[in-house]
Amino acid sequence: MSKIDFSKFNYGNASDHIKELEDIVGKENVLTNMHDRAMRAASCAPFPMQRWGEHVPDVVVLPGSTEEVSAVMKLADTYRLPVVPRGAGAGLADGAHPLAKGIVLDMKRMSEILEVDDVNRTATVQPGVNMQELNKVLEKVGMFFTDDPASYGTSVIGGRIGTNGWSVGGAGGGHIANLVCSMEVVLPDGEVIQVGKGGAKKCRNSSSGYRLLELFFGHQGTLGVVTEIVLDCAPKPACEFPSFFGFNSYEEAYECLFQFGISGIKCAVNYIMYDDEKIDFLRRDDEAWIPLPPNIKCAVMATLAGTVGEVTAAKNQILSIAKRMGGAYLGEEQAWGDWATRHDRYHVAEHCRNKEGQVVLMSWHCEDNCMIHSNLPKFTHGLHDIVKKYVDKYDGIFNDAGCFIYGGGPYRTWGDYLAEVDVFLNETAMTPELWEAWLDMKREIADFTLDCEGSVSICHGGCREGDVDVVTDRELAGGSFMLMKKIKKMLDPNNIMNPGKYNLQRAYED
Amino acid sequence: MEILSYKKFYDDPIQKGKPVAKTMETDCYAVFACRHKFCREWCPDYVAERNESYSSYGMHTSLLALSRGQAKLEEMGNEFIHCLECGQCELKCPNTMFGGDFYKYSTTTVDLVRKMRRDLYAQGIKYDGIEEVEKTIEEHKQYDAGADAELTSWAEGLDLPRKGDVVMYVDYYNAFQTREVPIAAAKILKAAGAAPAILDHPAITTGELLDTDLDAWLDGAKRNVEALKAAGAKKVILVNPHEYSYFVKEYPHYLGTLPFEVVYITDYVNELIKDGKIKFVKEFNKKVTYHDPCSLNKLCGNYQAPREIIAALPGVHADIEDPVIQWKYCCGNGVSSAFRKALPDISYKISTERMERANDVGAEVLIVACPHCKDMFAETKTKSGINIEPVHILEIVAECMGIEV
Repeated sequence: MSKIDFSKFNYGNASDHIKELEDIVGKENVLTNMHDRAMRAASCAPFPMQRWGEHVPDVVVLPGSTEEVSAVMKLADTYRLPVVPRGAGAGLADGAHPLAKGIVLDMKRMSEILEVDDVNRTATVQPGVNMQELNKVLEKVGMFFTDDPASYGTSVIGGRIGTNGWSVGGAGGGHIANLVCSMEVVLPDGEVIQVGKGGAKKCRNSSSGYRLLELFFGHQGTLGVVTEIVLDCAPKPACEFPSFFGFNSYEEAYECLFQFGISGIKCAVNYIMYDDEKIDFLRRDDEAWIPLPPNIKCAVMATLAGTVGEVTAAKNQILSIAKRMGGAYLGEEQAWGDWATRHDRYHVAEHCRNKEGQVVLMSWHCEDNCMIHSNLPKFTHGLHDIVKKYVDKYDGIFNDAGCFIYGGGPYRTWGDYLAEVDVFLNETAMTPELWEAWLDMKREIADFTLDCEGSVSICHGGCREGDVDVVTDRELAGGSFMLMKKIKKMLDPNNIMNPGKYNLQRAYED
Repeated sequence: MEILSYKKFYDDPIQKGKPVAKTMETDCYAVFACRHKFCREWCPDYVAERNESYSSYGMHTSLLALSRGQAKLEEMGNEFIHCLECGQCELKCPNTMFGGDFYKYSTTTVDLVRKMRRDLYAQGIKYDGIEEVEKTIEEHKQYDAGADAELTSWAEGLDLPRKGDVVMYVDYYNAFQTREVPIAAAKILKAAGAAPAILDHPAITTGELLDTDLDAWLDGAKRNVEALKAAGAKKVILVNPHEYSYFVKEYPHYLGTLPFEVVYITDYVNELIKDGKIKFVKEFNKKVTYHDPCSLNKLCGNYQAPREIIAALPGVHADIEDPVIQWKYCCGNGVSSAFRKALPDISYKISTERMERANDVGAEVLIVACPHCKDMFAETKTKSGINIEPVHILEIVAECMGIEV
């Protein structure tokens, strides 16, 4: 992505409209201090610290209601002020990273659980609610919202929708796009609309009309702001069974992953493979990683959740398959230890090393490519070849933290996978040259993914600097990107919503 | 017990127009690089306000931005006052959880907040509402400069010695605002045959002073240590968990290992119960729950003794939440009372939230082990109408012993 020229959009300056914004949301909910704005320039994705100032928004607004969001959007549309919605700031595709400054609409104040319907099994929530807090409420009536990203404890529903996030438990319980019945969206001109599976708020399916609900998943803040959501909830599982199996080789683990996947077990949450490099990375820190026997090169995790009867039967089947595939059961401590901490442990900044083995603080990032089963070995080995080339060339700047391979789902454990290579990078040492090297690495990974018949993103969104051009100009070149541009221009004629994201400024070129 | 902070570079002030030291930048980057923001989700202030600027992530990132020329120190007056100094963010930070043991690194937000409040204050960059805080500091300085008799007036009629192996240190808040707490402590210990000595003139320990003028606060600390030594103390009992945290964390950090053992009153009373020296003669027939003081539970990892005491009380029906779950709670006062004074509305909101959780478990009585919590909850009860009585654990122990406080 080359530097975008926003001058032709004649954007107004949000700093000139502080008083109007204060009138809408209250003075205390309009933040103009530089540090309040600067800290909302970054999301979870690698951050170009060397040019931080280019991404600091002019003002941060914390709305408290749909009416306030609508009023802010009308103001922004009138004066052509860029608006970037921000959820938890946990996204890995930089959706909330402002490219043209303007207003950051921080949605976390809208965090009410509006209704729990234990008959029709839905929860109606505002976008600032997170899954952990929601499930604390739902479990009181035996309900459970199955969306389970790595950022389970911190990400919020609105961000999950805006990024079309993938879920660790999605192979069993579905991903966010499968778990929304309907929602209220504020469009770029401030109009408030209701979209669903047809017109009903709580129906899971309908053949009425186009599939417009899906349009508002993964748009990365370019099409509107979600303000109310009806979620599809499941019964809370009676029991869980997490288990780890160690293997002497990649090939054995890979075959086991396949056999687990096609076993037909309905209560599988997901199956996850850890490749050689991932195990090596985790072994850097024996205190944090429960020690593995030295012969173990790769591992596969199987997690089941459901009724006691189905989990008990499935557990025996899992143990039997793993044994047949040469897997060694790694014990309860390993299973529960990782199950409990899987959301947070593996990407601690101190894990990183330079060539001399010294600790270098780096920030974690994961690529989130989707890959078909048959190409997984070629793909993951190739990913490491790419990353290691940069690790070798730029000592102490990048780290290869290995690959996780998860069932892609939703509601299935076979066929395609999230094959993520985790890459750490030292943001404080970033220079323009090093940043370009990082983007080159991402482009190589994205191109290689398409060469291997995969998709650049299954989880975060393909709008990051580095790989976005590969997504729009190659992966979606068969007509999808052309249609995206038409839709964008129709809904947002002034290009005020997250301008520059997904290369959608090109919609206005003709 | 000593819990020592090791980030000596916090002693170097951050000043207008001067670059932020590289060590400080790296320290802030460790939190920014994590980006999990677990610190944010359980921060009582964030839960009340939903403004991530004041989370540990927000404060560290703001300072990182400052080091990179993307923030202005003079705009940061209100940035650090929204911290309760409760410490949950330090405990929940993956840097602490998974780096603390192996890498000897952890996040130390409370130290950072105190440092930044001091640095900003020294440069005249003040937060809104600081006048109330300055008034308290001045009031406590007057106590310190005043007569001995006033500082020990709470102990009139108790006939407590001024020298002994075991000295009970009574801070100004307890001595003037919640004197029923030290009175209960003294009466319990006397009844157990373990009457403590007290100081004629305890020096200032006020948290608000620690947040504004370290030298003045350390002067009080030195005088306290000297006075306790002179009183013959081998063991010092604290009756305020804020002061307990200062004695085990700040005093050894700045003054070296103390020449006496430091014990919190609930640990001491619990031992007396276990040794059979405290005998209960009355039942406390109520449904209770217990609120962990932040300074005891989160800053010092001390949560067991109050639970064991409550379990030993005859007739009590207790439903107490796990201490880790209580990382998310605060009474709303904060470890330095500056938060409550500067932000009374948010303080009340946090307090109400905690009392509602007590309501959820069906409690009639919310037992506390901290005078500030008691005072805060009493105010919230009056304002909110939530029908739960906040009572100090020592008052219940005394009642069950048949002692009138």
